[in-house]
Amino acid sequence: MRFITQKNSSILREMVGTDFKVRYQGSILGYMWSFLRPLFLFLILYIVFTKIFKVGKTVQYYPVYLLLGIVLWNFFTEATSNAMTSIVARGDLIKKISIPKYLLIISSVSSAFINLILNLIIIFFISIFTKVPLGFGWFMIIPLSLELVILALSLGFMLSTIFVKFRDLTYVWEVFIQAAFYATPILYPLSLITNVKFQKLLMINPVAQVIQDARYFLVTHQTIISWKILSPIETTIPMLIILIIAIPGIFYFKKQSKYFAENI
Amino acid sequence: MDNKAIVLDKVSKSFVEQLGHKTLKHLFISIGDKILKRKIKTERNTKQALADISLEVEKGDFFGIVGRNGSGKSTLLKIIAGVYVPTSGSVLRNGTLTPFIELGVGFNPELSGKDNVFLNAALLGFTRKQTQKMYTSIVHFAELEDFMDLKLKHYSSGMQVRLAFSVAVKSESDILLLDEVLAVGDINFQEKCFKYFEKLKKEKKTVIFVSHDLEAIKKFCNKAVLINNSKLVAQGNPRWIAEKYLKIMQESN
Repeated sequence: MRFITQKNSSILREMVGTDFKVRYQGSILGYMWSFLRPLFLFLILYIVFTKIFKVGKTVQYYPVYLLLGIVLWNFFTEATSNAMTSIVARGDLIKKISIPKYLLIISSVSSAFINLILNLIIIFFISIFTKVPLGFGWFMIIPLSLELVILALSLGFMLSTIFVKFRDLTYVWEVFIQAAFYATPILYPLSLITNVKFQKLLMINPVAQVIQDARYFLVTHQTIISWKILSPIETTIPMLIILIIAIPGIFYFKKQSKYFAENI
Repeated sequence: MDNKAIVLDKVSKSFVEQLGHKTLKHLFISIGDKILKRKIKTERNTKQALADISLEVEKGDFFGIVGRNGSGKSTLLKIIAGVYVPTSGSVLRNGTLTPFIELGVGFNPELSGKDNVFLNAALLGFTRKQTQKMYTSIVHFAELEDFMDLKLKHYSSGMQVRLAFSVAVKSESDILLLDEVLAVGDINFQEKCFKYFEKLKKEKKTVIFVSHDLEAIKKFCNKAVLINNSKLVAQGNPRWIAEKYLKIMQESN
């Protein structure tokens, strides 16, 4: 089977385009909000953590450090939540034409990914303004965000298939995401945790690994990068976790997708 | 084999009817049942929608499918379209196929008419370039030149149908599936539909046509089948099929 046919890529392009056109429907500033949202978030973080709490003193460039973590995390939650409901939400299509169902998952993750890119552009400019030293480390965001995309796709295939049959999943996933937010070093620096075993446990989470590594390369080398905590063998665990989700996820999706039209 | 467009061999389809909404609770119960090796109480009903349907559509056929509501003809069309997979039996499609189970698939009320044309066309298998090329003629055919920047939600239902139909007629697939397309429009629209059918006939396209309109079936189809109670009860000349269909309708009254 060919995945990237002209036909599929035009469907994908129209679906992602529709997402964006519909997202800011009726708002006066429209697409500008894609940039304004991370900008305002940065301002809030900056005020809260450098003027009020002064936590920022312990970590260099804390507001940018924090913003990068939140932006990556938001991509992960947006991509997985949208992908999960995408099959059921586009039941109207699935019941009437025969399109490759994986396009719906890919389009959900793509929309979130475009948002991530816009956010990263803002972070790039904020970095310049707040005098964060820029270097070639920025290029590392490419493999790192790709890793996150693969994780989101894998989870998307798995979750969307389960969601067709069990509609409770949105609530379960919401709770999971809430818990995972605190189990991932986003708001707090990893150095806050003194127990080494616990640090390791947090870092085998692929999202945590991506966030920490991205902060190391993009913001400050003071960040504890994943391979400072994990042994060389252990650094493969986050990748293995992605693989463990991806393989059954894709197979389960492939097997069940034939019956989506009648099960929705 | 080369002259066949669609071949259905002993196609059956059953749906599993789920009683109540399935939730995680049911999942845990069923996992528990499996672990304890308890016999699972079947809380399901299977409903057979199609039984043992075999038919052949040759290239260039205008093939009618008639039957009462709930007879299974829409399920049959969806199986031919590849929307449903048959529970047993096989479906063979020879050539590209576009289903028109509903006009304007994917139409989004929040988008402009123009955006909807591109979205709908992509879903029907056109690339953006192809759509750009035929865009003016689509708009012209729909007679909506002044409304293309207007959001679809401000269109009347007639305008929406006209736009959707104008995209649909551009389809260059070898096989077209039409389900009750005629049921939606006024007389003007029906006339347009009929003209389009004439054109399809002239071009020797393969068309599978599901309808309640026996006159249209008799006029356009060269072959027809009658579906009743999930079974194929007759196939052959459209006139004869139409008579049989009327007879079945009278008997059930």
